[in-house]
Formats: sequence, C-alpha cells, structure tokens
Amino acid sequence: MGSVVEVNPLSRVEGHGSVKVYLEGGRAERVELCLTESPRLFEALLRGRSYAEVPEIVCRICSLCSTVHKVAALRAVEDAFKLTVSRTTQLTRELILHGGQLQSHALHLYCLLLPDLLEVKGVADLAREAPDLLKTGLKLKQVGNLIQEELGGRLIHPVNITLGGLGRRTSRDTLQRLADGIEEILPSCLQALQLFRRSLPFPPLPTPHYLALATAPHSFTGEEFQLDALPGMPVSRYREVVSEWTVPHSHAKSARVAGMVPTVGALARLNLSQAALPGEEPLREALVEVQGQDIRANALAQAIELCRSALAARLLVEELLEHDPADTGRPPHLTPAAGSGTAAYEAPRGVLIHSYSFDASGSCTAADVITPTSLNHLALEENLWALAQALDGSEPALLTGSLERLVRCFDPCISCAVHLVQL
Amino acid sequence: MNKPSLAIAGLTACSGCQLTLLNCEGELQEILERFQVAYFPMGQSDPDRQARYDLALVEGAVSTPGDLATLFHFRNASRLLVAFGTCALFGGIAAQHNRTTPRPKLLEAVYGNGESRPESFPPAPFKNFVSVDAGITGCPPEKGELLQLLGAVLAGTLPAFPHYPVCLECRSRETLCLLLERNQLCLGPVIQAGCNARCPATGIPCEGCRGPVAEANVAQELELLLERGFSREEIERRMSRFTVEWDYGQRR
Repeated sequence: MGSVVEVNPLSRVEGHGSVKVYLEGGRAERVELCLTESPRLFEALLRGRSYAEVPEIVCRICSLCSTVHKVAALRAVEDAFKLTVSRTTQLTRELILHGGQLQSHALHLYCLLLPDLLEVKGVADLAREAPDLLKTGLKLKQVGNLIQEELGGRLIHPVNITLGGLGRRTSRDTLQRLADGIEEILPSCLQALQLFRRSLPFPPLPTPHYLALATAPHSFTGEEFQLDALPGMPVSRYREVVSEWTVPHSHAKSARVAGMVPTVGALARLNLSQAALPGEEPLREALVEVQGQDIRANALAQAIELCRSALAARLLVEELLEHDPADTGRPPHLTPAAGSGTAAYEAPRGVLIHSYSFDASGSCTAADVITPTSLNHLALEENLWALAQALDGSEPALLTGSLERLVRCFDPCISCAVHLVQL
Repeated sequence: MNKPSLAIAGLTACSGCQLTLLNCEGELQEILERFQVAYFPMGQSDPDRQARYDLALVEGAVSTPGDLATLFHFRNASRLLVAFGTCALFGGIAAQHNRTTPRPKLLEAVYGNGESRPESFPPAPFKNFVSVDAGITGCPPEKGELLQLLGAVLAGTLPAFPHYPVCLECRSRETLCLLLERNQLCLGPVIQAGCNARCPATGIPCEGCRGPVAEANVAQELELLLERGFSREEIERRMSRFTVEWDYGQRR
C-alpha cells in the first residue's frame, strides 16, 4: 500500500512550498515540488497601466530581488522606447545590483543555509550557538543593504532608480561611506570561501545544464544567453527557446530552454563566465573547485560571488567618485510610442527576463516575466527525485530532512516563481 | 521572566515585511534573544503550529482559502495579532484591480482556462475577517517602526505611530513640493507619514505605499490633481495601487 511523506512547509526559503514523496512498498515512486504561494497575478495587474507605473508595480513581485526586478523592468521599458541612459545612471544601477547580490547571498548563506552545516534549526539557534558567525554574516548583509538603501532611497522596492535616470545622484560623502563599508567586509568575504566549501553529505547529484547571460565583468545584463557549450542565443528572441507550461500540483510554471532542463544561479554563472575582475587572485582556487559541479557547490559559488560583488562594488564606487559631476543622471523627457522591449538580468538566483508591449499612448498591452525559480523548477524536481532514489529505504525523517536541505541549495524564491506567463 | 513567544508568518505577499525583520542586522541578534521564536518558517525550521503566541506578526493580503485558515489560526492562537505591512492593512499591490476587474478574468489571463488554476478570491485586508491589535504600515515597512513595536511589546504596551500625512514630514525636511511646485501626481497629502518622506526627498512623488492617513481630505487632493490636468481615471488608478477602499468624496 502506498504512502506519502511530506515536507510542509518548506522552511528557510522565501515563500510557501512543500515537497511530497510518494512511496510504494517503502520505495520512492515519485517526487512532487509544490510551490503553493498564493498567486498575485502581476502580469494581469499590469495590463492597462502606463509605462511609467510598470516598474514601480512589478518590483513588488519579490522583496529579496526587488532591486533587480526594478532595474530589469526599467531596462525593458527603455528598450521599448529606444531610450539610453547616462554613464552615472549605468554605474549607479550596477552598484545597487551588487548591493542586492551581497545582501541576498549573505542572507541565504548565513541565515538560511549555515544552520544546515552546523546542524541547528535556524537563525534563532544561530544567535545562541554561533553568535559570532551570525554577526559576521549580518555585517556582510548590512553593507549590501547600505548600498541598496543609499542608492535606492529605500531598502526594499527602491525608488531613486527611475525610468531613464535617477531621482538624485549619490553624494560624494555617501559614496565614501560605502567605500569604507566595503573595505571593512572584504576579509569576511574571503573567510566565507572557507566556511561554505563544506558540502552537504549527499550522494552525487545530476550534472546540471548551466544557463546564464553572457555579461561583461561586474555587469548583470547581457544580450545573449549561454546554455552549456551551445552557441549564444539572443535575449530578444527568448520566446523561441524558452518553453513553459502549467503543472497541476504547483502554482508556478515549469520551463525548458532549447529543450533542456536548465540550472540558473551562482553556480551556472561561474561555470559559464570566464571574465575576471582585478584583485580576485584569492578566488582562483575556489573558482576551479566549482567547475563542472552539481548543485551542492552552489553555496561555494555564492561565497565566490560575495567576494566578487565586494570587489566590483569597490571599483564602481571609485568610478562614480571620479565620474563627470555634470552627469547628474536626470531622466530625459520621454514621449511614449507603440513598441515592445525586453531585458534580461542576472538576479542573485539566476536569469530573469522582463518583456513588455505598449500601445501608442504608452499603456501596457502585454507583460511577460520569467523568473529564476521557474527556470530552476524542473532541475530542482530532478535533483529531488535523484536524491529520493539514492536514499531509498531511509527513515522518513532523514529523507525529508535531506530533501529540504537540497531545496535550500537552490536558494529558491517562491513568491517570484508564481507568476510568469504571457498575457 | 518568561520570554514572549513570537510568530512571524506570511499570506499573499512578497515576503518583504518578514525580510524587514531580517534586515534589522544591528538588532536581529538581540531580538532573537529577547523573544522565543516559536513560528518563523522563513528563518527557522520546525515551526510550532500548536503553540500559543504572545505576538504574531503576519504579512500579506488574504486571497485564498488557505490564507484565511492561516489568519484564523493566528488570531485564535495569539494574544496580539499585528497586521504587518500594507497588504495586511489595506489589501496592497495585489488588490489594486478589485474594483475594476473580476477575479476570474485576472486568473484566466495568467493561468488560462486549464485545470491548474489556483483557488483565489479578491485580495483583502485582515480587518475584513478578524480584529487586529496593531498594524505596521508600509510597502516595505520602516525598520524603525518594527523595532518600536517589538520594544513596546517587551515593555508590555503598544507603540503610538504618527497620525499625520507625509506632507508634514516632507515640509519639515524642507523638500521641494512636487505637487504644488512641480505639478506631479504626489499622494503625500492623504498618505500616512512615518517614512520621513523618503520618496519626495529623492525627487520621486509619493506613490501611497503607506495607505490612507486618518481623516484624509481625499476630495481636496482630487481637486488639486484635477486642477493640474490629471484625469479622474489616472488619479483613481494611481491611488488604488495600494488601497482600493478610498472614499473620493471624503472631506474632513
């Protein structure tokens, strides 16, 4: 007689989800990942809204990634209206995205994942049992957030980065304070490489098909996707390669890219990008270590990116300090016209695509958002299935505990995943 | 003294209010020491659903049968239930079409007509279903207000938040008035303060993320904006981004 073992709710992830393992005679028959976040129907909410409102509304998809959602939406609207932005604006956007990545990776590594390595239940236990490590992680997170708040004017759902420019250019004093903060955390970033090198005691998992954007060093955006060693695929034609469908047990959609099951995020980025930043010699050994690895190495990949973001942020602050004071980033006057635009960014969790169409009055007629967690959905299910099979015959508590830890390796963001799709 | 037990949960939301707690990097460790964290799945495994909670901070709007069950659970199990954030207090971003587009139409636009359409009703604030003991507004909430509330609860009371509009803070910062001097669609006059006029201070009009201030002069705001050439439709659309329940004739 069959039975079901369930992990519900999935804990130490953003959003609501559960995992069900269907057992038949003690053997795992099937695994279901259910992302049960209540849908907010963003794509439908955007229809009929003006182009100016779209980025302000759509960044509310997710709090952890609100900055990259906002920037991707701004870029997609700008693409529709053929609008280019000034150097100050570009630099400010890159810097705030590094702040976002620092905060997100620090949160995931030190608050959500570290308890698995130390075999405690969560952040409240860490405060008691590993207060110094938690303090280090929170300091990293705080500097990431300082960048986000100073540049964005608000910590979550930033307001100062706007269509075509900035509300206000960041002052020299503020930039100097950011530089001091970044300098202070660089040693802790390097320590994270040692801390998160420890891998969870899982059997080997399926080798991923890595998917990431081809980007310049310290940039988060690009014009082409890379999938393993396949030739680059243009972002503007993403609809031809990404296919997605609804599944009955989940509110999120599943996606394949070029017929394959993609894995996106830090591990994929580091496996595909060869670009190096000045000053990253201490990262080399770890960079070699994550090549060709399965999702267990995602934590080390995130630790490498913590270091990279701190290094990149330092460079960007310097460049902003030296950049032409006359370039205030003031947005140009914009006259709406009918058109469509698409932008793709690397969110902390992986590839994020925003695409919109507008009529002649600038009113939104179509919206499409493809999020990293939807792109990872199938890979996550495949990994869960592989692990459930490898642990066949184990105690239910060991099985569910392991599956939950595996979900956390992906750093899923479930509220993001529950609404992609074309209108 | 026993530590007060704390529950933190989310309904239909972006997790931004829960993240605001984790964003109190300087204070988080002390908070985790002074409260007994009984239910906080986003940060701690094995959440205790059977416990009684002294304080429950619940974010999000109510838009599914599951949300409603969770809300009733925390109301029944908690001494103090706090509506945490704009969605919990006013419906928030997901409720903006409640008055204009029927729910099935919105669902169809995203999920099509297939079987996998989730069960969902128009997102609503907590007060439509249960009594709440306090609220922290904002999308996102201000860290300072969250810390004030936690501190007050530890001291056995609840905080008093300002009951005046964003304009008051904006003027005291000597910020240029975007509504009167730049003719922009700024909602400052009718929106609850407490954010220290963050957006106008960076040159961005108030989008109304903190919801209506008590005794808002809504009719006057409408007149000011109509005089400046905004259409009634555009004004209502902007005002409904976070709160749909406006009385456009209200004049206090």
